[in-house]
Amino acid sequence: MAYSFPEEVLEHVFSFLSSDKDRNAVSLVCKSWYEIERWCRRKIFIGNCYAVNPRIMIRRFPEVRSIELKGKPHFADFNLVPEGWGAYVYPWILAMSKSYPLLEEIKLKRMVITDESLELIAKSFKNFKVLVLSSCDGFTTDGLAAIAANCRNLRELDLGESEVEDLSGHWLSHFPDSCTSLVSLNIACLVSEVSFLALERLVARSPNLRTLRINRAVPLEKLPYLLRRTSQLVEFGTGAYSADVRSDYFSNLTEAFSGCKQLKCLSGFWDVVPAYLPAIYPVCSRLTSLNLSYATCQNPELGKLISQCHNLQRLWVLDYIEDFGLEELAANCKDLQELRVFPSDPFAAEPNVTLTEQGLVAVSDGCPKLQSVLYFCRQMTNAALFTIARNRPNMIRFRLCIIEPRTPDYLTLGPLDAGFGAIVENCKELRRLSLSGLLTDRVFEYIGTHAKKLEMLSIAFAGDSDLGLHHVLSGCESLRKLEIRDCPFGDKALLSNAAKLETMRSLWMSSCSISFEACKMLAQKMPRLNVEVIDERGPPDTRPESCPVEKLYIYRSVAGRRFDTPGYVWVKKQL
Amino acid sequence: MITLQSSDKDVFEIEQSILIQSGTIKNMVEDDFTFIPLPSVDTETLIKIIEYMKKHADKTDSKEKNIKEFDKDFMKKTLNELFALVFAANYLHISSLLELLYPSIADRIKDKITEAIRQIFSIRCDFTPEEERRIIMDNKWAHEGTEIEGTLD
Repeated sequence: MAYSFPEEVLEHVFSFLSSDKDRNAVSLVCKSWYEIERWCRRKIFIGNCYAVNPRIMIRRFPEVRSIELKGKPHFADFNLVPEGWGAYVYPWILAMSKSYPLLEEIKLKRMVITDESLELIAKSFKNFKVLVLSSCDGFTTDGLAAIAANCRNLRELDLGESEVEDLSGHWLSHFPDSCTSLVSLNIACLVSEVSFLALERLVARSPNLRTLRINRAVPLEKLPYLLRRTSQLVEFGTGAYSADVRSDYFSNLTEAFSGCKQLKCLSGFWDVVPAYLPAIYPVCSRLTSLNLSYATCQNPELGKLISQCHNLQRLWVLDYIEDFGLEELAANCKDLQELRVFPSDPFAAEPNVTLTEQGLVAVSDGCPKLQSVLYFCRQMTNAALFTIARNRPNMIRFRLCIIEPRTPDYLTLGPLDAGFGAIVENCKELRRLSLSGLLTDRVFEYIGTHAKKLEMLSIAFAGDSDLGLHHVLSGCESLRKLEIRDCPFGDKALLSNAAKLETMRSLWMSSCSISFEACKMLAQKMPRLNVEVIDERGPPDTRPESCPVEKLYIYRSVAGRRFDTPGYVWVKKQL
Repeated sequence: MITLQSSDKDVFEIEQSILIQSGTIKNMVEDDFTFIPLPSVDTETLIKIIEYMKKHADKTDSKEKNIKEFDKDFMKKTLNELFALVFAANYLHISSLLELLYPSIADRIKDKITEAIRQIFSIRCDFTPEEERRIIMDNKWAHEGTEIEGTLD
């Protein structure tokens, strides 16, 4: 029996399908379903802002309420993408201001957003609720003032790790007294002092506030004033965690924290004065997430704090935790799912802390739910990687960053191929992998053979030849994002796997051995790919065609080439 | 008492107070109808609809938990039964039942590939291969996330 449901019934059913995957599947069922679905899709996710354009998006989806856009490639975080490369959000905001008057949410990652864009948002969307700017740049606090002043129903303002030109803290006072809708406010990345009084009043009139992350400039002794007014917080980020050691400050702070019965997540902690850490002890047992990546405190205070957080699921911390602290973590935090250990002094010639492979092995051993790791360290062995792989076959994200490039296994002095091989072979659900240390083409053979669910791979200073790249491109079936720097990968592997690139979101290669000639050939062969040659040394034709390009960014797109490239980027027609 | 007649010509006598949960029936009752033929609702489905409305007619606080349990069990039906119910509930304007049915049907579509969905609904694909290719490309290239998207980084 064929079911032809009334349109409104299907629309209602579809409204319970939130994942893009489901909506995409539904859109292909038949023509009428495609039509119904496109009119009722409210949430759009675009993983590469240049893979499509505003006109195409609006034409297909006329009634969108929420949009998420990602711009620059991930290696922009390491300053590998030059200034002015692109990812401007203004054209999107402009188009949406005309077509999506009911837009409520904008979430951006690694995009350039100007004050003009912010002002346009503030003016155009009467029901605007959520603005999340993750690792964005291009705007000042004036733009934030426009948002604060005009978005009457603002629920969420999250500045993430954005780079904001901080003209003054005055912008916060632009929230009108009538604004009482805030649920989440994250201004941790701002440098300037905001008016504390304005902040306190804003917090006091926001009964739904659940997330508050203040900036470094807010002093420790002021925290109780905030916490007392908003004791229903679930996530809190402190400012500078330092003050003169005074017993009244301490008792006020402890009392204030004790009053926060819903608190699950803490962050902030710049400039930690260890004497104040015990003020948090009352909430430790409830914490599921702790971000100490700015906290310069060391053991024993650091270890003591963490070991009280028995329900911890996520920990971000500096390597001051050392192997010892990680062993304590392994012993006390059995629910741990995600661990990130950042380097306190990555440029030091000698290690300044005792953080080795042992710490990670201990955590992999003691924490059965561990599935996501980002670990900066200075030494590693294949043996340790074998152990980690064996302990944690449930690993989903594994990012190992041995600070010095091409560091060998310090016991065997050989490459770490086998160790990473064990990781990909045992961890069958692995979705994301970052490699480091001394690695030959062998490791890529292992990856191509075993890492069938791998979606994102980061490679630096690894491999011997094109074969390495070939293994990855021909073997990793689920690969979506590949980013490579300083590897001897060349034209042959790229050109013979050209078709693969249409199955991926993007490929980044910098300081490799890809020639300009190969880029031209690739662009010619694969018209639906955007091949961007990024070279600040001047026009590629001033060098021999065989000369390797500085940087290469290739991505599939339904929008064709972009027209906002700076002078040092060469695309299609020019190639 | 109101009399309902199914498409199979079976009749059911039910109290008015129970039936007014159906917007359609409510309107007809207000127009003084006491005999209401429902040519688009078969007996099997009508019995279930009546069962639902009877349970939901008595909404006192103490019964709320009871009703939630009932609703949960009520949705444990085959897809064909759910489809028949959604047609009927849509026609009869029983919004609370529709609110239950929509997510239940959505659940049967979740995580399924297009061809499987077509089979469930007995729908034939009417796209040309070229049209289908274009949409697949648009879906994947513009609007596809990764499994681990949306987590920090």
